[in-house]
Amino acid sequence: MVNLTIDGKEVKVGKTATIYEAAKEAGVHIPVLCYAKKLLPYGACRICLVEVEQMKGRLIPSCTTPATEGMVVTTMSDEIRKVRKTVLEFLLVNHVIECPVCDKGGECDLQDLTYEYEVISNRFEGEKFDLPKDEINPLIERNMNRCVLCGKCARVCDEVVGYGSYSFINRGFETKIATAFDRGLNCEFCGQCVSMCPVGAILPRPFKFKARPWQLKEVNSVCGYCGNGCTVTLGTKDNEVQTIRFNDKTGVNDGNLCIRGRFGASYVNSDKRLTSPLIRKNGELVEASWEEALETVATGLRDAGSSTGILSGARLTNEELFLVKGLAKAVGTGNLDHSGGECYKGVTQGLQETLGLQASTATFPQVENAKAILAIRTDFYETHPVFGMVVNQAVKRNDAQLTVIGDKQGKLTRMPHARTLQHKPGLEVNILNAMCRFLLDEGLAKIDGLQGVEELKVALADYSVDAVAAAAGVDAAAIKQTARELATVENAAILLAYGLPYTANSRELGLAAANLSLLTGIAGRAGSGLYLCGEKSNSQGAIDLQILPAAGALGASGMLKAASEGKLKALYVAAEDMLVSYPDKSLVEKALEKTSFVVVQDIFLSETARKADVVLPAASFAEKSGTVTNAERRIQRLNPGIKSPGQAKSDFAIFQALLSALGATAPADEAAAFAELSAATSGYEMVSLDMVGDQGYVWGSDNLAPEMRNLVAVAGGKAIEAKYQLVVGSSLYHSGTTSLHAKGPMAVVAEPYIEFGREDAAELKVVDGDLVKIKAAGGVISAKAKVDRRLPKGVLFAPYHFGALDLNRIYHGQAAIAVEVSK
Amino acid sequence: MFREFAKGLSITLKHLLPGNSTTVDYPKVKLEMSPRFRGLHRLVPTQTREKCVACYLCPTVCPAKCITVESAENEQGEKYPRVYKIDLLRCIFCGYCVEACPVEAIEMSDEYELANYKREDFNFEKERLLR
Repeated sequence: MVNLTIDGKEVKVGKTATIYEAAKEAGVHIPVLCYAKKLLPYGACRICLVEVEQMKGRLIPSCTTPATEGMVVTTMSDEIRKVRKTVLEFLLVNHVIECPVCDKGGECDLQDLTYEYEVISNRFEGEKFDLPKDEINPLIERNMNRCVLCGKCARVCDEVVGYGSYSFINRGFETKIATAFDRGLNCEFCGQCVSMCPVGAILPRPFKFKARPWQLKEVNSVCGYCGNGCTVTLGTKDNEVQTIRFNDKTGVNDGNLCIRGRFGASYVNSDKRLTSPLIRKNGELVEASWEEALETVATGLRDAGSSTGILSGARLTNEELFLVKGLAKAVGTGNLDHSGGECYKGVTQGLQETLGLQASTATFPQVENAKAILAIRTDFYETHPVFGMVVNQAVKRNDAQLTVIGDKQGKLTRMPHARTLQHKPGLEVNILNAMCRFLLDEGLAKIDGLQGVEELKVALADYSVDAVAAAAGVDAAAIKQTARELATVENAAILLAYGLPYTANSRELGLAAANLSLLTGIAGRAGSGLYLCGEKSNSQGAIDLQILPAAGALGASGMLKAASEGKLKALYVAAEDMLVSYPDKSLVEKALEKTSFVVVQDIFLSETARKADVVLPAASFAEKSGTVTNAERRIQRLNPGIKSPGQAKSDFAIFQALLSALGATAPADEAAAFAELSAATSGYEMVSLDMVGDQGYVWGSDNLAPEMRNLVAVAGGKAIEAKYQLVVGSSLYHSGTTSLHAKGPMAVVAEPYIEFGREDAAELKVVDGDLVKIKAAGGVISAKAKVDRRLPKGVLFAPYHFGALDLNRIYHGQAAIAVEVSK
Repeated sequence: MFREFAKGLSITLKHLLPGNSTTVDYPKVKLEMSPRFRGLHRLVPTQTREKCVACYLCPTVCPAKCITVESAENEQGEKYPRVYKIDLLRCIFCGYCVEACPVEAIEMSDEYELANYKREDFNFEKERLLR
């Protein structure tokens, strides 16, 4: 600790703190332009100059100078005021004064400082900037005439996002921020630069000229897309979410957001939202009153009784999922499941059988201090971009060694000194097994207190590193080196994302990853962690609340199979578009057709909803309160920013009404439901709603200790023999099927595509935009081709979000699909 | 005491003489307004468009909350008020909007004959204010 005096106040701060940080702690305000909490100190703007008693004779930049013992700091004097004013005058020489039409006006740091320091005239003269604007891309508008060269955009893009779009070019007065070759911006459009810019140089284009900052009502909530649970601040006006603002003061994940979080919320304002209950009459869905709809649903479910199937999405809140369970109980059925029923088995079975847990063992920020990180599947960045940014920070700031086990390249594999174990599709488990075997053979494994070591040794006989390396097409030395690192470094992390497009080998992958985490000692050790991250915003909550089939009852795939044979009388589908996102479309189609009573509860008239007998209009994340649990077990609160359109009701209100129509009792409101569910859910027992603050509440503490340490042998996969193999996954710009209604993601990726590697594209003479046909068992799909350099020879990739692609005609949950390609 | 009384009355009587009346024979005669009179608002046009850039300062400063602005982007990529409306029934003619305007796009004319028959007619839209 270091003691210093700032403006007469005694302050005690950590060794690494700068004067600025110390002042902040002491409650002394020092103005800044180029400083940001999450970026490394830079010292570009010279606004934060202060006087230090021990360094007389010049002013000291407080944001880059470390606080030292006995320092006496003065943050304001006549000289400081004069110098700061001069700095502002310099900035305003070239800065175009167009505050009335600049969307930053009202929350602009330069504007505020100019006002505070009363810069009403300028002693210097110079030409105003007249640089062209970058308006090519639909999401981020850059107007470099307003730039103050603080470099925050370049730094956040490099340090946090790891994309590196921007850099300073030219020298002296000509200096500006530009992209490579000064072309239009073409990046992953996370918009982190937008949130960092202190002036109006980088602005969100969808929000252009929509409103002034002071007109927006700000509501902190949780992003409704993936399991990262980033805090989004809804900027609402006129009962619409006008824009998404960020919260880097109190928000979870440092206020970092990706394209979906920042630009993907516009679906809540869509005019295609369902506004009234619909009932099928004479073969047509017609609008009906809530009373009639609820009565119909209650009657239908009562008639079906135990042969009802309930399928829920993982974007409902914990409270709503609790009522889903109540609904299943009231109807008298055990057929309850979520998210397709297969993809999460790595958690519910894999981790359960080995660690006795059903959740990730540590929190996201701990990864920043990891020295070795193993990401299973490159798609981890695509499904969880903001967690990917944490990984990037570990690699860049902590010099962590990142290893990626993936069947293709991706953002993660391009990170500095990342090691890629690029294998044939479907062989992840084999590689993990080989690592386990290597650790056991070399005596590096921490086997104290582990059960099943001998059995595992026997079972891994076939998984020698060399054999696996040869079969998977991976460098054997890389496998060994990775395993050694994971076992020997102080802090390490294993990351695995799961979701609807990753159905194959789900349980096996969970087991293999858990085995590795046990042998390396990662599981349960503070600072290290095994992360199994769900694709949706409340995937973890759905598992915590056990939205799973009761003993002996049917899971999702069982329900669909039974339904397709006409054995189910009713299906209740909440917040899922099964026809688009579930594997095996033909089966889902048949199930919907054969089931006499289908209820769909959704915010859009999805493909599945079109086949329903009753459609109930629900509310989006921006319209409801409740809690969700993210992939690091952080329980966070949703806060409503707007009202639902038309007669749409929150899922909570719908279930409540339905339960009372069925004669069952329901909690009076979300708070009461949380109290009930926390009492009934393991891990939540001690949690009350007032413990869930701005940063949420991590149940089971930052490091969740395993209940048991049991190694379970698991068989690896087999590579399929086919010239062309299609792998299915998630696209960075989309999440589930909801983002297809959002303007931001659609502006970047509007259509389905089939991705080809360069070699295959050259061989097949396919170029970007060509229409290609993919034939496989189950049917033929066609889409435009996209040629990139991510894929090895013989492997194609297709994102699963688009209903128009009909991908699930040929995707039935395989790790890779043998396909034939034609133009 | 009588003297003072007579003196006062003489001033009064003086005013009764023809030519000394201050009453204006409205509506036949109309007063010329002083330059700083605050009458009906006027949006200043330029050659091609309104001068207003829809910065929202006038609705923000307006104490009566009578100004409605909706900004949008025109074909040249400029910010312009798609909607500019003043509800004169709420307006208190304080002139803060004129003072706040950074581009001198709104001024107050000497027009004060604003009586009308219907409430709707007091909603002055952009087209009317641009005259």
